[in-house]
Amino acid sequence: MELFEPIIESVKRFVEDHDRKKAWTAREEITWPEGGNRNIVLREDMGLELGSPETQSLSYILWTENLDLVQDGLITLVGPDLSQSYGKSLPFAKIVLVGVSGFTEENTYERYRDMELIRYQLDLKGFMLRAVSQYMREWCRISSEAVIKGFSAQVLGSVLMRLFRDKSYVQAFEVIFLTSGTDDVNTLKEITEPSRKIIAAMNKMAEEFDFDCSSCEYQDVCNEADALKGMRDTLRNKSREVGHG
Amino acid sequence: MADNTILAMCGKGGVGKTSVSALMVKLLARENNRKILAIDADPAVGLATALGVQVKKTVDDIRKGFIARIQKGESPGGQETSKLLDYEVFDALEEREGFALLAIGRPEDEGCFCKVNSLLKDIISDLSGNFDIVLIDGEAGIEQINRRVMKTVDHLVIVSDTSAKGIGVANTIADVANEKKAVDFTSMGLVLNRVRDESEVEDIRKRTALDIYGSILEDNDIRDFDFRGKSLTGLPGTSPTLKVIENILTRINVLR
Repeated sequence: MELFEPIIESVKRFVEDHDRKKAWTAREEITWPEGGNRNIVLREDMGLELGSPETQSLSYILWTENLDLVQDGLITLVGPDLSQSYGKSLPFAKIVLVGVSGFTEENTYERYRDMELIRYQLDLKGFMLRAVSQYMREWCRISSEAVIKGFSAQVLGSVLMRLFRDKSYVQAFEVIFLTSGTDDVNTLKEITEPSRKIIAAMNKMAEEFDFDCSSCEYQDVCNEADALKGMRDTLRNKSREVGHG
Repeated sequence: MADNTILAMCGKGGVGKTSVSALMVKLLARENNRKILAIDADPAVGLATALGVQVKKTVDDIRKGFIARIQKGESPGGQETSKLLDYEVFDALEEREGFALLAIGRPEDEGCFCKVNSLLKDIISDLSGNFDIVLIDGEAGIEQINRRVMKTVDHLVIVSDTSAKGIGVANTIADVANEKKAVDFTSMGLVLNRVRDESEVEDIRKRTALDIYGSILEDNDIRDFDFRGKSLTGLPGTSPTLKVIENILTRINVLR
């Protein structure tokens, strides 16, 4: 099932061409103490803020069955590292690239939701996350103590990798963080705009049981993506079976 | 969720409940090793004003905005709703030195959006769990605290002036509270405000079964601050009223 492949390629090209990128390998042995689900970081305890409502923020999970497109374990950061940005509030983008297997028209939406929920499982001492999937936004705060103790892109990436790899259908994990500036987040927003439409179309199909394509604002998106059309047909058949119309 | 202490302030309108709440927050904020959340559940957002906080967004604004989106057919649905509201509630949190404040805003108006109201209550409850001390400045009755903020509190602090009406309302609140239908609480007591002398306190003691946590004498400084619309956080540390409130907080084991 192909959905995001050209977008993943464009994202990777953008990152490769950027001169402020650094890369690490995610390591299973990198750990961080748990926060006991008491993870509010207030401004007075804050060492760093990423993607606050006052600035730009972008967050996506893009998956593919083409494992050549995902460099397993790679963490890339475009912009200053967290430890070098003490006291700042930076624009933020996080793009998770996942190499998957066994995605079908029946299970794709369910697995997407499953992966979406992973970020809420992050329970890291001194790390706060608020996110709105609908707007692809992620707002993080890292406490002063955590920044001083070495909380970094590599730590966050490694913990995320472990959570993703816990899923049986995840074969490879790569993450791109971007803190370099508003213009770069905006460029990534433009590059990933087709993903927003694809995800919105999936949400609409799954939640509204509305299969009247003639009046749907995502008609053109589905027309361009065979996988979406397949998902729509599968959901429509299911819906008929349970009496939705 | 970790242990924390929740104080709910209630009492007849105009008895100085919000001033007492603001001074409690001021004292608690001085101890900078604990996280303090002040919840302004009064539609007039008086606690925010008393603390010198200008509120940019209330929980009611969030609720209304969300309902407007539902009506336009933009509902994100399911778990997304909860996360979206959580994001917005955190964004509505006003963070100041030593404390954070969340304003609830006006009560719900027309239409029943029970699910949204219930989600917001859960989110406020979860958010509160991240703070060491939560102080809720409510409307007159405790039913509002339950309906709009949370059902379980540790200390129910009823504030009253010395008027017969004020004490009557305090006794009624205590009766409702004792039925344990409106809120669950561990301790309940009365703070007397604008007291002229000790004989007034003795007289009131005969008219109420409530434990009197403390009595605050009429305070020209507070009246002056109120008159000028100045934040009570600027009240000098030598204020006798602050000392009484400090004793009350120590007595109920909120201040160490």
